[in-house]
Amino acid sequence: SPTGDSWGIFTFLCAALCNLPALPALNCSEELGAGQSIQQTYDLTRYLEHQLRTLAGTYLNYLGPPFNEPDFNPPRLARAERVPSATVDLDLWRGLTDNARLAANYRAYSRLLCYLRVLDGQVGTAELRHRLAHFCASLQGLVLSIGGVMSSLGYPLPAGPAGPPAPPGMHAAPNDFLKKMDDFWLLKELQTWLWRSAKDFNRLKKKVPPAVVTLRLEARGF
Amino acid sequence: VSPAADPAVISPQDPTLLIGSSLVATCTVSADFPLKAEDLYWTLNGRRLPAASYTALGPSTLSVALARLNGSRQQSGDNLVCHSRDGGILAGSCLYVGLPPEKPVNISCWSKNMKDLTCKWAPGTEGETFLHTNYTLKYKRRWYGQDNTCQEYHTAGTYSCHIPEDLALFTPYEIWVEASNRLGVAVSDVVMLDILDVVTTDPPSDVHVSRVGDLEDQLSVRWSSPPALKDFLFQAKYQIQYRVEDSSEWKVVDDVGNQTSCRLAGLRPGTVYFVQVRCNPFSIYGSKKAGIWSDWSNPTAASTPRSERVACDPKGGEQNTTLRRELKQFFGWVKKHAYGCSNLGIKLYDQWRVWLQKSHKTRNQVGKEP
Repeated sequence: SPTGDSWGIFTFLCAALCNLPALPALNCSEELGAGQSIQQTYDLTRYLEHQLRTLAGTYLNYLGPPFNEPDFNPPRLARAERVPSATVDLDLWRGLTDNARLAANYRAYSRLLCYLRVLDGQVGTAELRHRLAHFCASLQGLVLSIGGVMSSLGYPLPAGPAGPPAPPGMHAAPNDFLKKMDDFWLLKELQTWLWRSAKDFNRLKKKVPPAVVTLRLEARGF
Repeated sequence: VSPAADPAVISPQDPTLLIGSSLVATCTVSADFPLKAEDLYWTLNGRRLPAASYTALGPSTLSVALARLNGSRQQSGDNLVCHSRDGGILAGSCLYVGLPPEKPVNISCWSKNMKDLTCKWAPGTEGETFLHTNYTLKYKRRWYGQDNTCQEYHTAGTYSCHIPEDLALFTPYEIWVEASNRLGVAVSDVVMLDILDVVTTDPPSDVHVSRVGDLEDQLSVRWSSPPALKDFLFQAKYQIQYRVEDSSEWKVVDDVGNQTSCRLAGLRPGTVYFVQVRCNPFSIYGSKKAGIWSDWSNPTAASTPRSERVACDPKGGEQNTTLRRELKQFFGWVKKHAYGCSNLGIKLYDQWRVWLQKSHKTRNQVGKEP
């Protein structure tokens, strides 16, 4: 009977709206809002920060004292500042547009990834090489995640060199001790960037609207 | 403001030294810096070196004497650092102190189905821990001069290498390992072998273990010969090992020969057994040399039957409780209706069962027949 049919449709729609995941017959598409990717990127930076602690500990022990001493603070000597610095004036940081904020993160981690990969090729012990490879893979994931956020917000990805910005020979340390210092600063900058990124993404989380779920109900012969 | 030049220069920069040798290092402050020799001090691996070992060689050059050096604390080199009075780092030099490598030893190789060659070796005892040592496996056919280098390392442990190409058969190969570090090179003895002498193969496939009818102490094992070598004329010998489910002790059956089936006897009834088989492809192309045993096949499980007519131990047996219940009922009826049979009772039955169990245990030990 007709009344029965419309009651059936009504019940079905109610059920659909309340129990989306439970109804396989319903064709619905959910667009991941930028909000969700920002949260994921934030989580990834925290995970990397945790991973870095173990990696840095092992690597600094490999370099030997004084590099693994807690208060070690060598000068950044007169060599080209090749590793992008995370530290920035507070007002400048606050004033960054979302695009600029994301682009700075994207560029920094792309560069850091390059340098880490070079490190991977030179390091002595098998254990270290294994840890470094694992960390690089996670860092690559972070770069992609930031890229994803930028795309979902409609920002273009920063153009940049895929490889190291200059031929490796140019910026290579002239002796083994200076190379150890470079490695130390690379790890330090990585650590600072991960701290800063957490704050960057926290800030972005508050500004971007929450995930928007679009629902498409396909009429099934009703 | 960062300075244009490095604050100081150390000499020698990143030297390599033998254990026990001595070293005199100098730190020269660059002209742009207002530091004098007396403003400087040295540390080695974070520890300050005694001023007694210092000598001022000039107004801005300080030297330090290090005697009888121990092997490097880390393979990345000992950190010898020149500091200014306030602790700031002016320059550093990495010292690599160790011994030249020893000849690698115990080279052993095997070829899987004659398709490749994997070799492993052991490092010579000393010299390897202080300095990083590189190992290179090389090989060449005996009467054809060209040396080849193995590329794929660590495939079967740290000191191993895998040669993936099809190597020539019926021809001897010379194989050796070179160990090198900053202090020198050491070459192992040359091992000569023919691929056919070191062939191993995959474990037998399709291992099936089944019962032999109702026999409680036997299991039948069947398997297929490894397919990879079926085109080559070879005899295989097989080995079987088996163990009871909750034991870690394997029993090995050695004289299986060339068959692809075997019967295990003297087993415990009603027990789960794990069985594995492995293969040795000896006598490839008629060579009488033993091949190399394959890995064991994945364990296959099977259980021996347990006869229902034999009285089992009280922990098992559902049929006991039914039987026992019926007997109890029977004796109860007997007591009521058959005067003079009062000695018959369930207690007597229980005693009979205990006696039966004791005599059965001695008959049930593996491998023993009454």
